[in-house]
Amino acid sequence: MQNHIAKYRKAAGLSQQELADAIAVSRKTISTVETSRFTPSVIIALKIARQFNTTVEQLFSLDEAD
Amino acid sequence: MSKQDIQTEEKFMSQNAWFSVFMGITLLIISVYPALNQTSAPLLFLGSAAFLGSFCMFVIRGGFTWKMKYRLTYKDEFLNTIDTIAYKHVVLGLLFSMGAVYLLSDELALDVSHSMMATFYLAEMSLIYGISILWQSRD
Repeated sequence: MQNHIAKYRKAAGLSQQELADAIAVSRKTISTVETSRFTPSVIIALKIARQFNTTVEQLFSLDEAD
Repeated sequence: MSKQDIQTEEKFMSQNAWFSVFMGITLLIISVYPALNQTSAPLLFLGSAAFLGSFCMFVIRGGFTWKMKYRLTYKDEFLNTIDTIAYKHVVLGLLFSMGAVYLLSDELALDVSHSMMATFYLAEMSLIYGISILWQSRD
């Protein structure tokens, strides 16, 4: 699964820590989700999408292998 | 969960991982060195002193307080996940080493005491937990 969180975050001018604080998760959660090493729960995915005023589908996309 | 809680958990896990690594190395020295040199008393004393020293260092440097109690689970989703995976790594490592000890038991029986083996298992568990957490939480 791929995601565009880093792109959205940079466009919003936020650091990983600021985004983490905004949605009440640890900075490492943001870091590992951005590098696709950790797949977040639906709750976190929805919180991130809400933070950027977008949809989960815009942030995450499935690979062919998924 | 408040922002402060999450940062405290993150900090606690990081320090816990490093503490596990240091404790694992200390226990490993205590368990392996006496077998090589046929002695245990001086090293047990030195090892215990090193362990207590490293523990005090982490308590002071890490800013631990009595309020920072150990919890069985972390509230943060990612920290909870890597904590669970680390325990799985510990169990796997322990199973492999126990299998190896079972196969080598005849050769080990005369030179290695039960207390040394118990210390070795504890060392291995601490090391695997610490390294697993540090490896999984890399940026």
